[in-house]
Amino acid sequence: MIIVSNTPFDAGERLNAFMEASQNAGAIASFIGRVRGEGGDTKSLYLESYADVTEQGIEDATKRAYARWPLTDILIIHRIGTLHAGEEIVLVATASEHRRAAFEACDFLMDYLKTEAIFWKKEITKSGSTWVEPRTQDYTDNKRWS
Amino acid sequence: MLKILYFGKLGELTQLREERVDVPNDINTIEALKSWLNTRHDLDCALSHPSIKTMIDQKLVHTNESIEGAQEIGFLPPVGGG
Repeated sequence: MIIVSNTPFDAGERLNAFMEASQNAGAIASFIGRVRGEGGDTKSLYLESYADVTEQGIEDATKRAYARWPLTDILIIHRIGTLHAGEEIVLVATASEHRRAAFEACDFLMDYLKTEAIFWKKEITKSGSTWVEPRTQDYTDNKRWS
Repeated sequence: MLKILYFGKLGELTQLREERVDVPNDINTIEALKSWLNTRHDLDCALSHPSIKTMIDQKLVHTNESIEGAQEIGFLPPVGGG
């Protein structure tokens, strides 16, 4: 399941539901990304997407994950809009028979979301705002899968 | 009318998220369109920067393609979520 939404979500609740639905999977891996709070500097994030193009790109990435690892299910929830410190930005969960596939697929999908998914992210602090681009390390991480 | 979408920092530079434009007849490729829009919005070549990707009707293009028949052009600065 892929959800790109401007509505806040409860990652714990979503993960529990995913686990319930994946009764036959012996391994569930998950990653939750949240908005950092930076030393008292009031901070929010603003995320933009390109409607169906963003969701189609994520769908294609999940197809690559299914082709590469023996997964039984994938859940990706990604926020857009304005997010405040502590709010969940992203949840990726993968289910498989064994842990290695679940771990690796989750890592792969996060690298995709960080560097290739069609999102734009602006950090807003007391001192101003900046559009954030992936770090060199993010691109290096993503190359591990090619 | 051609729909133009400006994402991320380009939306701030143009102060538009999207617009519909009547493109002059002699503007018929992506590069020509970028130059025309750079001037129209006083963007100082921002659209022509190599980091800006272009989608014609939601498909990524890698060369200076024709915009003939296009309905929607998206200009995409470097992406990244998570």
